[in-house]
Amino acid sequence: MGFKFKSVETKWMEERESVMNELIRLPRRNFVRVAGAAAGAVLAKSLLPPHSFQLIEVVKAASPESPAVNFSIAYVSDTHIYTTKLNDRFVRSALKAVDDVNRLDPQPDFVLFGGDLAQLGKPEELQLGVQILKGLKAPVKMMVGEHDWYLDLGETWKGLFGSPNYSFDHKGVHFVVLNSIIEKDFWTARGMTPEQRMQTVAGLDNGVQSRFEVGEPQRMWMQQDLAKIPHKTPIVVFSHSPLYKYYRPWNFWTEDADEVQTILKPFQTVTVIHGHTHQVLSNRIGNICFHGLLSTAWPWPYAPEGLPKLTVQMSRANPFDMNDGVGNGRIDVLTDGLVNKIYNLWDRNPVSVPASYLKSNGTKNRPAEPTFDSY
Amino acid sequence: MTRTQRSFSGRAAALAGRAAALLLLSAAPAALTRAADSSALPLGIPQDLYQFVIPKDNPETPEKIALGKQLFFDTRLSADGTVACSTCHDREKGFVDRFPTSKGIHAQFGKRNAPTVLNAMFQQTFFLDGRAPSLEEQAKLPIVNPIEMGNKDGAAVTAKVAAIPEYVSAFNAVFHQPVSYDNIGRAIAAFERTLVFGDSPFDRFMAGDANAMNESEKRGWSLFNGKGRCMSCHGFSSTQPFFTDNRFHNIGIAAHKANFVELAVKARHMVETGNIKQIDELAIQTDLSELGRFLVTKNYADIGAFKTSGLRNIALTAPYMHDGSLPTLWDVIDHYNKGGIQNPFLDGGMQRLGLSESEIDDLVAFLGSLTSSQFKAEGDAEMQRQKELAATKRPERDTDAAMGRKGDLGDVAPDPDVKDPALIGRTATEK
Amino acid sequence: MRKFHILLFMPAAVMLAGGPDTPHHEAPDTRNGNVVVELCDGKTSLEVKGLKPGETMNPDQAKDVANQLMLAWQKKNPGMKWDMAADTAKDAKGKIPAPGTESPEKKQFETYGNYTSRDEFIWKQEYDKFVAEGNRIFHDAKAFGGTVGISCDMCHPNAANTHPETYPKYQVQLQRVALLRDMINWCIENPTKGKPLADDDTRLRAMEAYIMSQRKGVPMEPGKH
Repeated sequence: MGFKFKSVETKWMEERESVMNELIRLPRRNFVRVAGAAAGAVLAKSLLPPHSFQLIEVVKAASPESPAVNFSIAYVSDTHIYTTKLNDRFVRSALKAVDDVNRLDPQPDFVLFGGDLAQLGKPEELQLGVQILKGLKAPVKMMVGEHDWYLDLGETWKGLFGSPNYSFDHKGVHFVVLNSIIEKDFWTARGMTPEQRMQTVAGLDNGVQSRFEVGEPQRMWMQQDLAKIPHKTPIVVFSHSPLYKYYRPWNFWTEDADEVQTILKPFQTVTVIHGHTHQVLSNRIGNICFHGLLSTAWPWPYAPEGLPKLTVQMSRANPFDMNDGVGNGRIDVLTDGLVNKIYNLWDRNPVSVPASYLKSNGTKNRPAEPTFDSY
Repeated sequence: MTRTQRSFSGRAAALAGRAAALLLLSAAPAALTRAADSSALPLGIPQDLYQFVIPKDNPETPEKIALGKQLFFDTRLSADGTVACSTCHDREKGFVDRFPTSKGIHAQFGKRNAPTVLNAMFQQTFFLDGRAPSLEEQAKLPIVNPIEMGNKDGAAVTAKVAAIPEYVSAFNAVFHQPVSYDNIGRAIAAFERTLVFGDSPFDRFMAGDANAMNESEKRGWSLFNGKGRCMSCHGFSSTQPFFTDNRFHNIGIAAHKANFVELAVKARHMVETGNIKQIDELAIQTDLSELGRFLVTKNYADIGAFKTSGLRNIALTAPYMHDGSLPTLWDVIDHYNKGGIQNPFLDGGMQRLGLSESEIDDLVAFLGSLTSSQFKAEGDAEMQRQKELAATKRPERDTDAAMGRKGDLGDVAPDPDVKDPALIGRTATEK
Repeated sequence: MRKFHILLFMPAAVMLAGGPDTPHHEAPDTRNGNVVVELCDGKTSLEVKGLKPGETMNPDQAKDVANQLMLAWQKKNPGMKWDMAADTAKDAKGKIPAPGTESPEKKQFETYGNYTSRDEFIWKQEYDKFVAEGNRIFHDAKAFGGTVGISCDMCHPNAANTHPETYPKYQVQLQRVALLRDMINWCIENPTKGKPLADDDTRLRAMEAYIMSQRKGVPMEPGKH
């Protein structure tokens, strides 16, 4: 070349190379775990000072006291896409999430989409979302959110993705995907247009929309579906609403959560993975562990009351940084049916919540405390 | 809600001239008076306050309103059959009589200027000294005042009315009782509660029409809120848009001809607190009238204090102040500009304003924009008349005092004008 | 002769007002064996002609009795309103204050502090309307000039995480001490990509009012981080 000085881009590339080389020096098993989370975090940054790339916790490799990983899944959730003409920020975030997941090595068994693909349920938004998710190398399992549903009561969604509730088995685990954002009709009496209905549902705090529920028909379907499953089989439920009662005014809530939990009670190990809350969230009720997903679009603050005891809050987001408080993540399903999860927070160190933390009811392996109060 | 309801004022705006106003007023109740419900309130008149002030023991019904209207215009209510309520509250003259003080039976003049009945229902107390707590009570007093309508007492009036068969049947139908003095008051009050007017250029401006007021009027509104200091007593808000704080202030009117201290000493012993009839007679007939609110409360702070007037349709109600001593709005502003007239009980808020001539013109223009659309022609004519009168003489003007070159009535803050008059007092930004 | 007392409550206003402690008085004995009706002022009474104990009056009779009692009371209390007499506090001399004064003797008189329930109604209406307007704008990107479809409630439902009680404080994003409205403007400019509002813009003031109203009761901690 002959140039004495290096460009910023060149320097950046060299720094990235050296970081990756350091990672390679870790034992293979740990590297796999680290790389998945960290690489995504690292590569998502546009500016990369190496010293900030410190992982708080590296999920430990399998040891006698904690079970081995059966398989991993990644997730992308709550993308809330607008059409690019209006706002391309959410689109770019969704693309970034897809890139992150694609860089995971090895690839996850499948990718869960956690709901709220579109922001206002418009066909063009959903179509754009489909295009973005097509970029994922691994297979995708879709789950519906209220923003996808209430413009046309699911017509477009069903046309694109089929039934919103379904079940499947994978490597010995039984998965149930629910449409848990059913709401009782609040719009007909008020004479709302579909757009008004969608706007109402899109507002978290207006109190006009009904509370989410799974509803009796779906509960009955679930019961029948689970009737054939032996109680020792690990169950994983994908649901957009949390399937427990966190904070009613913001619809961080499932009205018939108790009934749903009763249906799940006979099973030894149940994990609920839910969207909608856009925050680091963990809970355990009896035999059921609940895990909230991050959004790629924006973080919600923690609710003023009802926060599960087991949740260690994330620090509040920096409004200057539109990538703060958002991200995606990975869930390792262990052989005993519980899950380790890593919150891949863009522009932050990843937060990992091991299964042992919930299993011990919060006494072991507690994640790090936040610096700032969130609310 | 009511902001888009324009049908009845729209019709009015289409007609022009005093004759038209008269036509409206004499037409069937629907054109001017409103049905018993409040769904057709004019632009700018708040629904919530309207509901709040209708008394529970005197609900509006069309029959009661018609009865009250008849009584209001009926001269037989006076002792010699010459004076009706409408004599001093003349519907062709903005429901005032345009005299400095009003003239009752036997051509006797009282001591007080007649306030307008337009929007009177929203007042908190009645008469210029607030001696009557309700419209019902207010209606009853002039009827038995020796100078105004001259009846001996309520019983005499009642007997007179009860001797008229059509009234007997009307009272029976409306109140299910024989004619009584209280019910006369109730019926008249019910009619007066239909005289609700909004829809002035100012109201349209506040509703979002930037062209409803011209530049001078807008500057006047800005001054009203800023340098003129008017807002502090002639307060306006969307819930109480009548430009009054419902309080009593001594602004120094007639202070140069009344010796407050002497009068107050006399009144302290003479006036029976709670005896409205006595206070009424003292207020209308004697020079204790100048004491204003003090006659009612006997509080020192109320010596020479009179109720803050509302400003809607103010162009129609010359001459101004409790004794009608200020013939034009220019005189009114001149009075305030110099800080009122010094007296021991002058309200602490009175200060010289330092307004220039063009600022005074702007303020007056703004006051002119408070005229309801039904009275536009009348209002314009009055403003013109006052302008011509003010062009020849301005007895209240004291520019040296206003500008601070003499006297000691306070300092004017450095140019406290408000920037965008369109947003002052606006609660809502939309519409 | 047995006495029959009927306490007669007149205008509904008194009943609605909940009524004060009504004085009980011994009405005079009946002279002609008719029922004696007493008024709850404790002093006025009337013997109803032709009404024997145990009989009930018809509505017209009852109204007539009520009217007569009222006239009798008004003769004793000229110019006074009945329901005012019933529920207005008496002053130190046992006299009922003049209508419209509303300040019993114990209170200091002043214009500023001497406000009525109607004043409070008006003030509350205005406040509620202002906060409601702020609520509306807070939830509507187009209303405050946001251009990318992001409204304040997306990150701040019910104005959560706005901490208005910590202002003024050194605001890191602005690198200077900021008031709440400065931060509102910053948010309008940055996440929602709108033009900052003028300091005296009604929309800004309304949003501030809404945000503060959501934190009613929280102690002030300016400068807290």
